[in-house]
Amino acid sequence: MLGWEFPPIINGGLGVACHDLSTAMSKLAKITMVVPKSSPDFKVKNMNLIGINNINVETFDNAFRNDMSDLPFDLQSIPFDLNPYYSEGAEASGSRGLNMMSGKEKLAAFNIENLYGGDVINKVFQYADITSAVASDIDFDIIHAHDWMTMLAGIKIKQQTGKPLVMHIHSLEVDRSGENSKGWVYDLEKKGMEYADLLMPVSNFTADNINRHYGISKSKMSVIHNGSVPVKPFKSKRNFREKTVLFVGRLTRQKGPEKFLDIACKVLEKNPDVRFVMAGVGDYFKSMLEKSSYKSIGNRFHLTGFLNQERLRHLFSVSDVYCMPSVSEPFGLSAVEAAHFGIPCVISKQSGVAEVLGGALKFDYWDTNKAASNILNLLNDSVLRKKVVNDAYKNLNKITWDISAHKIVNAYSSNQFY
Amino acid sequence: MPSICFYFQVHQPFRINNYSFFDIGTSHFYEDDKKNEEILNKVADKCYLKTNKKMLELIQRHKGKFKISYSLSGVVIEQFEKYRPDVLQSFIDLSNTGCVEFLAETYSHSLSFIFSKDEFKRQVEKHAKVIKKYFNQEPKIFRNTELIYNNELAVFIENMGYKGIVCEGVDRLLGERSPNFLYNAVGARDIKLLLKNYRLSDDIAFRFSDKGWKEFPLTTDKFKNWVHDIAGNGETINLFMDYETFGEHQWESTGIFNFLDHLPGSILEHPDFSFKTPSETIASYPARNIYDSHNFTSWADTERDLSAWLSNSMQQEAIKKIYSLEKDILVYGDSALLDVWEKLQTSDHYYYMCTKFWNDGDVHKYFSPFDSPYDAYLYFMNVFSDLECTLKNKKLSSKKLSSEISVGSYKRGRKMKRTGVSAVQAIALS
Repeated sequence: MLGWEFPPIINGGLGVACHDLSTAMSKLAKITMVVPKSSPDFKVKNMNLIGINNINVETFDNAFRNDMSDLPFDLQSIPFDLNPYYSEGAEASGSRGLNMMSGKEKLAAFNIENLYGGDVINKVFQYADITSAVASDIDFDIIHAHDWMTMLAGIKIKQQTGKPLVMHIHSLEVDRSGENSKGWVYDLEKKGMEYADLLMPVSNFTADNINRHYGISKSKMSVIHNGSVPVKPFKSKRNFREKTVLFVGRLTRQKGPEKFLDIACKVLEKNPDVRFVMAGVGDYFKSMLEKSSYKSIGNRFHLTGFLNQERLRHLFSVSDVYCMPSVSEPFGLSAVEAAHFGIPCVISKQSGVAEVLGGALKFDYWDTNKAASNILNLLNDSVLRKKVVNDAYKNLNKITWDISAHKIVNAYSSNQFY
Repeated sequence: MPSICFYFQVHQPFRINNYSFFDIGTSHFYEDDKKNEEILNKVADKCYLKTNKKMLELIQRHKGKFKISYSLSGVVIEQFEKYRPDVLQSFIDLSNTGCVEFLAETYSHSLSFIFSKDEFKRQVEKHAKVIKKYFNQEPKIFRNTELIYNNELAVFIENMGYKGIVCEGVDRLLGERSPNFLYNAVGARDIKLLLKNYRLSDDIAFRFSDKGWKEFPLTTDKFKNWVHDIAGNGETINLFMDYETFGEHQWESTGIFNFLDHLPGSILEHPDFSFKTPSETIASYPARNIYDSHNFTSWADTERDLSAWLSNSMQQEAIKKIYSLEKDILVYGDSALLDVWEKLQTSDHYYYMCTKFWNDGDVHKYFSPFDSPYDAYLYFMNVFSDLECTLKNKKLSSKKLSSEISVGSYKRGRKMKRTGVSAVQAIALS
């Protein structure tokens, strides 16, 4: 398996998903997971976890194939500095000319402090080089790559070994940057997905997007919905009277932070005794403050900044409604977490989680009137609230990583990958 | 026979801490105690004590011919009481020379005149009491926060009994006229305006150590000549500046104290020149013309308007929300809550939220305890939310109280009162 975000480095849902999925998979198959960075103390049972940062430079094979000219397709005109995820303080490193380096030098130069900062494309190339060298020493049957950052590595390994390549799609460039974004990452995704033997999108929503925006047939896809690790829910005492509506996620276009603000305004018009809380950071942080002040709801619209898991769970424990107004959300694990906490969810139909969380009120992300009235109903109508929460509880039994892992293994075998 | 009128602004805000969403409803203390104490100590040592000592020495050296005035905000006096009584004592010592006048201002260095005349009046009166208490002076001259001024303020403050007001001498309002005369205000009877000569004031306050300035270095001789050049074309040269200019904004190493040491002597070399306090100034000269400031002006930033505090939506939201609490604070709040509300009115909180760019933005940044104007707003609104919650709880419990008392027995209520049981306990007991 080829992963990018992984504990102890988790940027968003991808790190959590990769960790939890591979952990569940390790009960069914022998997994080697190669990630840019891991902590030597961090172990997963039954899994060979390799952090490139922990590879001893001295023992590293000097002469490995490190030439991109043998790619099965053309990937020219690489942008220098590209940042598909928001990352504070990211700066371009500007170090290029890697093809001139030996394997040892490359490994020594591999600095992955900030997974998405600076010249992320460069990091993707370095990761592909080193990982394909690592793969030549390992025995395996299937290459399972997660998202575009590891696609190049997957492609190289398939070329080297001829082993089947599975691409797990957690998120697409068209989710992150809008339907019209057709840049280098899009090209890589398209060519990589075309080259792969099987795609595993995390939802039908994403499968549709792959089909619509990348022209790839659904017959090559097997939808694997995410699972979730059950959390022991708890309730905490809210320290203020107002009921609380929660948003969790990066404050970036894809997640619909402006929709959340719109919804907040509409709810507050009817009921001023509600607080709206956004947990997360992102490029919309400042404009959310400016706009909420402009709308004169600054005392009801709160930004917490980045929260660790403990704080986040505390926030879940005092919230009354979870709202996910994503414009394009391949899955949306945090809604499942909210459901574990017994919080009714109001989620956009443009999300993967909407397919598995029957017990949630749904709206088209542009229909903020409907979202607002859903929230008001949940706040005012305890019968409705109870029903939504109970329905979601029933769904949760089916949203587990073990189920996802079994589906993956079944798909491997029905495609005769081993 | 022109005179120099010095007025120095002394102010430090009670800065708020990084008050998070999770603090709402749990912590009702908003001040960054540590930072406030730290800054006050730093400024006390670098500026206040040193400069006060120098001023006292100058007053004694010139045998009463050197006169100055101060405006100390109520909140800085509170900080002196709390952290540095020695600084307060050094101001009292200055006051005792008889050569130092203390001006009136709003207690918490607030923008209250713009948002609530009642609150403004309350704060000016509260401030005057503190000045009387420590300096035994009843202020006759008013200065508004950051020299914010308009015609209406002159009328209002005259009706409160003040004889003079200090304000910025704004070029666009003066036109060809000089700031070096006294003026009357449009609509007022005879309150006199002392206009800041911003060129000469800022030569000391901002440009003194600016190596890119063509007049650098500024010597006492040079400055004295500029002042003396005004002879025959002005009656009062009003040099108004932040007191922190000495030793804080302009470090001791720039030679600012040396400059100050020689300045009065140099100016007094010219037999026609003298130093006057603001009250003496307005008693000495007639108003020569009318200064018409329909819109608000101030001494802040290059715009000299309200944009330092009120130019973006965050600033406007924060301050509107604060003043929206006024009625409830007065009806349901106790003195502690009034105190908190008053301190949240301090103009600095809104100044930190300013997003203007270029040089002025840098000045805002220099003063701000926060990483960005957005942080300043975010924490402030969390604080506001907590205050709003506290007030709401008080309101609800007082309503509950009054409705329960009205259904309870009158007799029992009286009995409880006699036995010293409070109304709240009475409800609990019943």
